[in-house]
Amino acid sequence: MSYPKRMTKCLVAGHKKHLEAAVDSLHEAELLHVEDFVDGDNPDFEIGMPMQYGEEVSRKLVKIRSISNILNVKPTNGTVKLPESDVSKELDAKLEQMDSEIDRNTQEMSRLDTRVKDIEAAQKELLPFLAHDLDLKYFGGYDNIAVFSGTVSSFNESRLLEITDAYQLFTDSGSKFFVLFVSKKHEKGVQTFLADSGYRETRAPNKSGNPSDIYAALDVEKSEIHAQIEALIAERSTLNEKYGNFILAGDEFLSILSEKAELPLRIATSEHTFVIEGWVPTSNYDGFVAALSEKTGNGVYITTLEVDMHDNKEIAKIPVEYENSKFASPMEAVVDLYSRPKYNEIDPSSLIAISFPLVYGMILGDIGYALVLMTLAFLVMKFIKSDSVKKLMYVLIYCQISALFFGIIYGEFMGFPLAGYVYYGEYFPGLIPGLETIVYDYALFYGEPFTFPIHRSHLIMTFLAVTATFGFLHLNIGYIVGFFDVKGQHGLMHAVLEKLSWIVIEIGVIAAIIAWYLGLGTVGIAVGAVIAVIGVGMLTKGEGIKGPIELPGLLGNILSYTRIIAVGLSSIYIASTVNDIAFGGLIWTPADGFSVLMFVSILVFVLGHSLNTVLSIIAPGLHALRLQYVEFFGKFYASGGKAYKPFGHLKKYIMEE
Amino acid sequence: MVEFTTEGLEALSKAIAIVGTGFASAWAEKVIGAAAIGAMVENESLFGKALVLTVLPETIVIFGLVVAILI
Repeated sequence: MSYPKRMTKCLVAGHKKHLEAAVDSLHEAELLHVEDFVDGDNPDFEIGMPMQYGEEVSRKLVKIRSISNILNVKPTNGTVKLPESDVSKELDAKLEQMDSEIDRNTQEMSRLDTRVKDIEAAQKELLPFLAHDLDLKYFGGYDNIAVFSGTVSSFNESRLLEITDAYQLFTDSGSKFFVLFVSKKHEKGVQTFLADSGYRETRAPNKSGNPSDIYAALDVEKSEIHAQIEALIAERSTLNEKYGNFILAGDEFLSILSEKAELPLRIATSEHTFVIEGWVPTSNYDGFVAALSEKTGNGVYITTLEVDMHDNKEIAKIPVEYENSKFASPMEAVVDLYSRPKYNEIDPSSLIAISFPLVYGMILGDIGYALVLMTLAFLVMKFIKSDSVKKLMYVLIYCQISALFFGIIYGEFMGFPLAGYVYYGEYFPGLIPGLETIVYDYALFYGEPFTFPIHRSHLIMTFLAVTATFGFLHLNIGYIVGFFDVKGQHGLMHAVLEKLSWIVIEIGVIAAIIAWYLGLGTVGIAVGAVIAVIGVGMLTKGEGIKGPIELPGLLGNILSYTRIIAVGLSSIYIASTVNDIAFGGLIWTPADGFSVLMFVSILVFVLGHSLNTVLSIIAPGLHALRLQYVEFFGKFYASGGKAYKPFGHLKKYIMEE
Repeated sequence: MVEFTTEGLEALSKAIAIVGTGFASAWAEKVIGAAAIGAMVENESLFGKALVLTVLPETIVIFGLVVAILI
């Protein structure tokens, strides 16, 4: 159990002529979590102006990011770290050079894109005319002939004959597209007839030549353009290789400058001075002061500020940084997923570093799955370097170690029992010939004697009791942690009333049950009941009416831990169902000898267990997580702290000299 | 004529306990899950809280299971 890292509130002040040097060294130190100055907090100060070089830096940053976007630069392009001085020296010239090379490429690309769109539009226009393939010049320019082209819902030629027989009609049954040439004399009549038939005009493109020839020519042009586009894309990937690394370094260099340039917007300044308020980890404070004084030639004044630890608003402002052992630190990712602890409460990372894998292992408990998932986690760690992924993989490995341990206790491998056992007179062989289950002469429930290895599916009642008891203990650890939390924040009295009262109630109830079980009579039960009532009284005083209302929830919380056996059983049943389908005789059994069906069985086996492996990460993981988040954290964890983000920048692509 | 046997009624009772609570859990999670996704679209850091809220009703079906085993 530990608290988050202790922080010291400090103030850095000085003459404005030292501001730039101070900002530079603060950035380099990467220790100060700057507290933003709010205009109006102090009438003598106002928010500062960004550094003069800021505007130019932003302009270049926009440019380099647009180039990076066009060239599709990825973090993987950052193969080598470039020296900072080189980046700074070459930046302007390189930006210019890249800009001109890429500008030509993008202009050409957009011209070609537009042309492709035009071609596609022209082809779409031509499409209906392909059916009759009449030369497009015939569609206009007549003195005595009217041309209609388009679609109708149904074409009744006999009605047309009533108007005139001097016409030429081309129809296409498939698309309902038609072309009709009639004498101009009958244009009006035909128009009315067509309007009645649901006519929608499709104008012929203003071109000459056969539509199919034009269409084919456009196709040729389009494929030529596509080839040109391909060439441009290839050119971009050459440029990406040529400049990718530099672009990343340049982006980082400019981002750092921009952060520095904009810091004055977060601090207080007067006509001649600047004041920066912020937080530094107490353990780093002396080093921080020394570094800052040295870099600025004692040009700044640094001091610590008092923090009122009784003022909740003030505490909420303190940034929170974890401080855990190497073993517990991967769990910070899991805690962060919920929410960071407050500054003055116990950081639960080290607690769940034990209880989370423990619950996970109890649920999964299979040697085979544990080994598969552990190998997977090690492989991911080897190939993915990201820190957050690494942390999660460590969590996964902790879980698998626990699953392996419980796998040995349960004697399970991929859903198969390792040891043979007798159940209701019938003998079931295990995976390892000769290994037999040892049956002990002791049982918690009738018909469920303890065994080694433990067969979960035959000890259901026992497991319900064991998991509920585990839950009871886990929740009480939560109350005890909560007791210390409240004691630290509000004093012993509050802690006793708010948290210890729960334990008093539990003792009362347990005493009453034991008295009843041992047949101690009404007096014994009454003593237990009185203790419980005292507990309820304490709770009501501590938490108000909401305390007793939450009482039945405790029972729900305890029963919720029985999911440990429930989810575990579901995983066993899926595994053994897969085994039954694959080798139980539905498709093939080893007794059938070698046949094609054997491969089907193997396929079913592999697919089924792959599915169960995936479920084995998700289901036990989520349920174990839920027991921590909902049941355990619910007993003590307030959370809602602000992450510690020191002013500075982790240099990934540039190298300091 | 349908004959009721103790075993049959027991099995039916177990089924009702599981089906009823399973359906209740699913329904509750559906409603909460939809709202939680909506909230997470607005603010991704709500994942932890959203997860907690979404899995809360799971307990209902666990109760159902416990009851079914005890029957």
